[in-house]
Amino acid sequence: MAARDWLLAPTPGSRLQSRLGQAYLRWLAFRSNPLACVGLAIVVALLLLALLAPLVATHDPLAQSLARRLRPPSAEHFFGTDALGRDIFSRIVHGARITLLVVLVVVVTVGPIGLLVGAVAGYAGGALDTVLMRVTDIFLAFPRLILALAFVAALGPGIENAVIAIAFTAWPPYARVARAEAMVIRNADYIAATRLQGASPARIVLRHVMPLCVPSLIVRSTLDMAGIILTAAGLGFLGLGAQPPMPEWGAMIATGRDYIFDQWWVATMPGIAICVVALGFNLLGDGLRDVLDPKQGQ
Amino acid sequence: MSAIRAEGLDVRFGDIHAVRGASFAVAEGESFGIVGESGSGKSTVLRALAGLNPGWTGRIEIRGEAQGRRRTRAFHAAVQMVFQDPFGSLHPRHTVDRALAEPLAIQATGDAEARIERALAEVQLGPGFRFRYPHQLSGGQRQRVAIARALVLEPRILLLDEPTSALDVSIQAEVLNLLAELRRRRGLTYVLVSHNLAVVGHMCERIAVMNAGRIVEELDAASLRAGTPREAYTRQLLAASRGYDRAAAAGFRSFD
Amino acid sequence: MGDAPLVEVEDLHVRFHTRTGVVEAVRGLSFSLGREKLGVVGESGSGKSMTGRAILGLVPPPGEVTAARLAFAGQDLLRLDDAGMRAIRGRRISMVLQDPKFSLNPVMRVGDQVAEAYRQHHRANRTDARARAIAMLEQVRIRDARRVYDLHPHEVSGGMGQRIMIAMMLIPEPDVIIADEPTSALDVTVQMQVLAILDDLVTQRGMGLVFISHDLALVGSFCDRVVVMYGGRAMETLAARDLAGASHPYTRGLLSCLPSLDKPVAALPTLVRDPAWMGR
Repeated sequence: MAARDWLLAPTPGSRLQSRLGQAYLRWLAFRSNPLACVGLAIVVALLLLALLAPLVATHDPLAQSLARRLRPPSAEHFFGTDALGRDIFSRIVHGARITLLVVLVVVVTVGPIGLLVGAVAGYAGGALDTVLMRVTDIFLAFPRLILALAFVAALGPGIENAVIAIAFTAWPPYARVARAEAMVIRNADYIAATRLQGASPARIVLRHVMPLCVPSLIVRSTLDMAGIILTAAGLGFLGLGAQPPMPEWGAMIATGRDYIFDQWWVATMPGIAICVVALGFNLLGDGLRDVLDPKQGQ
Repeated sequence: MSAIRAEGLDVRFGDIHAVRGASFAVAEGESFGIVGESGSGKSTVLRALAGLNPGWTGRIEIRGEAQGRRRTRAFHAAVQMVFQDPFGSLHPRHTVDRALAEPLAIQATGDAEARIERALAEVQLGPGFRFRYPHQLSGGQRQRVAIARALVLEPRILLLDEPTSALDVSIQAEVLNLLAELRRRRGLTYVLVSHNLAVVGHMCERIAVMNAGRIVEELDAASLRAGTPREAYTRQLLAASRGYDRAAAAGFRSFD
Repeated sequence: MGDAPLVEVEDLHVRFHTRTGVVEAVRGLSFSLGREKLGVVGESGSGKSMTGRAILGLVPPPGEVTAARLAFAGQDLLRLDDAGMRAIRGRRISMVLQDPKFSLNPVMRVGDQVAEAYRQHHRANRTDARARAIAMLEQVRIRDARRVYDLHPHEVSGGMGQRIMIAMMLIPEPDVIIADEPTSALDVTVQMQVLAILDDLVTQRGMGLVFISHDLALVGSFCDRVVVMYGGRAMETLAARDLAGASHPYTRGLLSCLPSLDKPVAALPTLVRDPAWMGR
């Protein structure tokens, strides 16, 4: 195929061609890993579900019907109904949006902050490193759920506050990963060469060190996402996260607790959804690590 | 005015006294070699000249101007370095083009496109190499890119830290020829550090021999070849580099 | 060299079956080793390291080793099972690698590692093995062997580490040593001293030594015979003293492109690679 030949040309004619060629090779390597593809498929399915929720859902997730409460799974209600007669399938589909939102907001805020703090600390060393790492340690010392409780006590329950609480405690490990990478990178000859060209430390950190820390952080984020989903679900379960009637999966498990023995589907279906999505992110993260790990070369 | 003058250069890393009172001068357009075994301090001297080591004392003058802890933009435009390990001297995520464009961007030099093309041509790498990544290049090609990167700012002085030690012998010959040709054409000043006496004897006019942080002897290449160095350490180094000789090896001793 | 060869290699092929095709590291190599020092010289990618590993059955998967004949002391190595190979490795054929940093266990005392190398192949109690280890360390000219016995790898210099490696490899009293760039990581004077030790031990014990290196000049001055490899094949096999008068253009090219203190030139002759050498 002409496109494939263009991408794999040994003498690329432009930066774009070269970049796309490398991305294509990485994609080929990723594709050869079956579990990674399963993970990707799950994550893509989650994205599509979230985007197309109104189309996929069979019923209104908030519509109650006490006449039809606690019905088992059937052709009409794929996953059955809950205590208020709401269709569980539709609630899970709409809940995907909340799950995705939580995950994206946390990762998008936590990743860059951790990267910046870690890369600066790792490259600078000395007093700046010590100060930044002690700040990181302070945040690392907070247990996530306890902090969430504190936030809720201070600011009131709600999904936004749950997200803030998670983000607050999720960024330190990223800073540590970035710092570890930066400490190795700063001794490399190519960094010495850049210093010899007169580059300022800011330029070196932003353009030379940070891009090399990104792959580890991407892998770390995908692996962390499972934990973030579970934490959000846990907060929802405790009633600290999403508030009723939002179809957040953790909250759904909480309300289904009372019926677990006779109407198992109320709690189990959202539980399975959480398991599958967490597994999907884990498999994706493993696959990405195999592909992005610079030690494996090409 | 010498291109480089070092007086009483002293470098310590914590407890380790890596360079002890090194003094030497390099004339404009000269090729000066520093040879020594590992731990002799030769690379440390070079890095101190380059301004990569902040912990030095003594006096360093580049083209008549005394240098302090921080180097100026003029210094960076005049002095560049080629490193030993071709696998470590190029940023793994930057194309050759980006590696060559970066110094021009930092120094805000115009005419980048033309300069990059010229630099690649000078090290005999065709335009097809311009957008490759380092892992798509061989060791010799990477070293050529490193040389091109050092030359793109049109420096006057090139510091070479074991530039061919990690290369195959046949590639080494090509790179050494390239370096000699570039020096001849541009009238550059070289300071070449190596553990290999034959390389230093071939590339350099004057040679300083270092051992345990000190400059043991300074001699010219002709004296080295004639086998008449003054110091016993240099004579031992010379004997060892002539190939394996059971009788000679028995006589080797430590000079620490 | 009146007695039978220790190692016979005939038409050795080492192939790697990768996703993008078959990579041949060694393509039809033949040589024999007697009680002598044989140098195997080549640049990177010539297949010299793979040759050493193939003899010991240490080629990593997805590598595949085939040969018309691969024998040690008359015994066919290709047909030997795992247990048979383990009996030979270390005990009859030993391998010394390039960098002692990577071959010595960082958390074990060096003396213990030498003693363990002995106990793996001979029945001995700990005191016995310790005594032999100390004796071996003294044989590789480590002064104060008792003190050095208790050191860890990071506490010894490169040259001493390499001598310890040699001690480890020689203590089981093998018949053949395969040394893969054993002195490349060392300073040139230390290199000479380590080679002198290797020279003495190999001659005293009547061992065969396969010396794999990229340094043709060094091999020419140290070894008895030299095999020059390129692209997985042997370009030439000749006596070391005949090296200066070598006939193959690759060998001549390799020798002439070295900078020499004795014969200064303005520009070094470069090697022009003839595609015919790859034999395609």
